[in-house]
Amino acid sequence: MTPDPAASHTAWAHAPERSNILMLRVMTWISLRPGRRAARGVLHLVAAYFLLFAPASRRASSDYLRRALGRPARWRDLYRHFFTFAATIHDRVYLVNRRFDLFDFEVHGEDALRRLLADGKGLFLMGAHLGSFEVIRAIGRKDTDLRVAMLMHQDNAQKINAMLAAINPEAVQDIIGLGHIDSMLKVRERLDDGCMVGMLADRTPGNDTLYPVQILGADAHLPVGPFRMAALLRRPVVFMTGLYLGGNRYAIHFEPLTDFSAVARGQRDAAVQAAITRYAALLDQYCRKAPYNWFNFFDFWQPAPIAMPPKS
Amino acid sequence: MQNNQKPTVSSTTDLQREVAELMIECLNLEVTADQITPDAPLYGEGLGLDSIDVLEVALTVSKRYGLQLRTDSADNQHIFSSLRSLSDYIASQRTR
Repeated sequence: MTPDPAASHTAWAHAPERSNILMLRVMTWISLRPGRRAARGVLHLVAAYFLLFAPASRRASSDYLRRALGRPARWRDLYRHFFTFAATIHDRVYLVNRRFDLFDFEVHGEDALRRLLADGKGLFLMGAHLGSFEVIRAIGRKDTDLRVAMLMHQDNAQKINAMLAAINPEAVQDIIGLGHIDSMLKVRERLDDGCMVGMLADRTPGNDTLYPVQILGADAHLPVGPFRMAALLRRPVVFMTGLYLGGNRYAIHFEPLTDFSAVARGQRDAAVQAAITRYAALLDQYCRKAPYNWFNFFDFWQPAPIAMPPKS
Repeated sequence: MQNNQKPTVSSTTDLQREVAELMIECLNLEVTADQITPDAPLYGEGLGLDSIDVLEVALTVSKRYGLQLRTDSADNQHIFSSLRSLSDYIASQRTR
């Protein structure tokens, strides 16, 4: 990951990717053998540990929850926030191992998604560090006609691929590492195949151009890159999130966000900016709807390190 | 302008210039074609393009010169490393 000032605050968020493979294998075994319910007992310990010993994450959580709940956050709110995060990370193990039977998914907006996919040209799925991304990939794996390739930064892609390989070797191939021209051409190829390309569009790798938005009533900045790419490749964009509702329940939402298919070159910048603004509004909406699902444990609401007008 | 014959070696610099102009136009770069050194890296500290800029250049030149860009080509990173390597590739593969 490119150096960024928030790196130390996000250390915990990256912990699963960082953990060594042997430990992960052991965890996977424990999760899959004694079963989900038994393994979840450990999650309470994990949440309590972070609540007590990760002050930077706790501050970020408290700051976020105050905005999302519209009142000061109490200890039980913080605990619930950490627990929700730990639970979604833990559930990945089951999802990657295709244990869809363990979960109760409600899916919203699937018809709209299928309509946009009907012409076989693919589309972009813009997610965020909001809820679980893995549940959406699970939908893609369960229904063979809905295929998702994930686009992410090279370092993360390598770590996550190593992680997936440890959990389930079959799961590896649908990740594209962002970085050079080859990955861009791969994105286009997947789209041309009618595949969906998924991205988490709420964090910048550190050197992306940023665009100012309002989320939960305060200034924040979102990277321009993901939407610029969608505009360049002239595809529809669908917002998505897999919200954890507690127990074994997830609500997966697909919401058509914009369609760049017919945007003329001269209109592109304006269309990209409008799309980012709408993406921010959707983040705002779902943060209020499911406050404990926001997994950016760093100071998200801060002045932009670089404020340049978007390129292209 | 329509080029129907394959360019000869002597036209390479013309082609470099033409490709430079194309890049400047599609990315709204604030430089002139003369300021783009053929061997300077397109990424990072050279022209400072990011991978989405390079994608835009790739889409533009493939349309303009009728190129087929393939993902499994190990050469892609070399092709898009500088104006010279990109122009050389166009010269050898162009269909229009």
